[in-house]
Amino acid sequence: MLQIKNYSDKILKNISFELKPNQNLIILGENGAGKSTLAKVLCGITPSSCVKFEHQNLNAFSAKERTKLINYVPAKLSIFDEYITLNEYLNLSRLHSLLEAKNLLKILELEALKNKSCQSMSSGEQQLTMLASAILHNAKITIFDEPTANLDPQKSRDIYSLLKSNIFQSKIIITHDLNLAHKLAYDVMYIKNGYVDFLGSSKIFFEEGNLSDYFGTSVQKINNTIMVNL
Amino acid sequence: MRYLIFILALSIISLAPFFGQVPIELSNLTNNSTMDYKLFWDIRLPRVILAFFAGGILSLGGLIFQSLFKNPMSTPYTLGVASGSTLGVAFAIVFGFSSLLSLFGFLGALMTVIVLFTLTLKLKSYETNALLLVGIALAFFYNATLMILFYISDESQSFEIIRFTMGSVDVVGLEHTLPIVVASLALLLLSLSYKKALKLLLTSNEYAYLKGVEVKKVNTILLIAVSVAVGVCVSLTGPIGFVGLIIPHIVKTIQKKSAEQLMMPIFFYGGVFLVVSDLIARNLGTNTDIPIGIVTAFLGGPFFIYLIIKRK
Repeated sequence: MLQIKNYSDKILKNISFELKPNQNLIILGENGAGKSTLAKVLCGITPSSCVKFEHQNLNAFSAKERTKLINYVPAKLSIFDEYITLNEYLNLSRLHSLLEAKNLLKILELEALKNKSCQSMSSGEQQLTMLASAILHNAKITIFDEPTANLDPQKSRDIYSLLKSNIFQSKIIITHDLNLAHKLAYDVMYIKNGYVDFLGSSKIFFEEGNLSDYFGTSVQKINNTIMVNL
Repeated sequence: MRYLIFILALSIISLAPFFGQVPIELSNLTNNSTMDYKLFWDIRLPRVILAFFAGGILSLGGLIFQSLFKNPMSTPYTLGVASGSTLGVAFAIVFGFSSLLSLFGFLGALMTVIVLFTLTLKLKSYETNALLLVGIALAFFYNATLMILFYISDESQSFEIIRFTMGSVDVVGLEHTLPIVVASLALLLLSLSYKKALKLLLTSNEYAYLKGVEVKKVNTILLIAVSVAVGVCVSLTGPIGFVGLIIPHIVKTIQKKSAEQLMMPIFFYGGVFLVVSDLIARNLGTNTDIPIGIVTAFLGGPFFIYLIIKRK
């Protein structure tokens, strides 16, 4: 469905892969390995002729058509205007979903914040806001950049359930949260120094031998849970 | 409270043409052989109209520039449009085209817009900041050229250039206000038609892009529209500073709404602010009018600082 072929830039080297319909993908890699750079290429923020959607160049789609295909949820909410409220933000995001913003606010228990300015929300609330926005956008493929960063355990769990549910169509999730990656059990891509170092099933990637290859002694699998050794 | 302020503002602008150094007899306004008739219809009313629409363009332009560049310090002058216009006027003064000042002022602004537009085409998609820097560099270049013109001009020409840069809403005859009325209403309508895109751009360019806004195209259209309208404005009034910076901020701080919902109020109160400034400028009791730029800065500066301190 989504295809990138021989893409290279200052950070990424010769990236090629294809996301098939209904496939979900986890992207792992060290800080600075090029994960977010790749995400921006895939969604078209960094224009490139190497990205195709169903064999048609992504930049050949009209802006409106493109919104149906792909959406990107950045790691941090960035809003210039200090007076844009949560409600306004979500209404701007509602493109291809039948769900109403106000109903979603109820489901996510964000109703009390509805008239609060997005800039003044806590980072956890902002993370939830961006997820809600992605639900309302409802693109065929949604790319999440560290969706569980900055969250308390309870909210991490909420977001895990949202990602696990079928509320989104295809997902590409960039994360450092190995436990989340393991539990979602989607296919894994590991990026190292701009190269694709691993691309395959979750089962193979999270085999113990493999884990020590990629993370050394810093990561351990205990009771089917991935733990970071401090 | 909001309605009260609105009604007060409305009455100020409708009463403004009746006040001045020479009192006007109301009954003479329909009698075209009197001095009062000429004073009112040819001088006072055009002046109020020019001040109102100039204030509208500068304030709305400021709001749009701040939104597009995501920079609270941007004003229509940031990109060098006003400097270009001033340079055009100075050129006309020094080289003997004094009867065509407005035209040269407009050409100076237009030249800047063309330079900026050519450069935008060369820039990559999202580099609005690069454009801002180009604008600032351009303004410095224009100022240097202006210095050369000062250097080769005689005393009376220099004085005329300086007087222009102080700004003034002097205009004789209603028909001369037509260009600015048309330019400002066109800008207002165009901006309102881009309301949705502007709101998306007020979050971030990336977000707007993902939600289907053609960021570069919208940026370019609004940028050119504001620059042309400001060009018309500056060629008639000279560079009146500060309005484009403070009015958007003041209205935003008071109304607490996102920028795209405030286009009408900012246009309106920008206009009111210049009408009031001009009212003060020509009623202070001196024999000549004080340049309006001085009044806007004296009036707006302290109030602006007060608002900034109060909100922290």
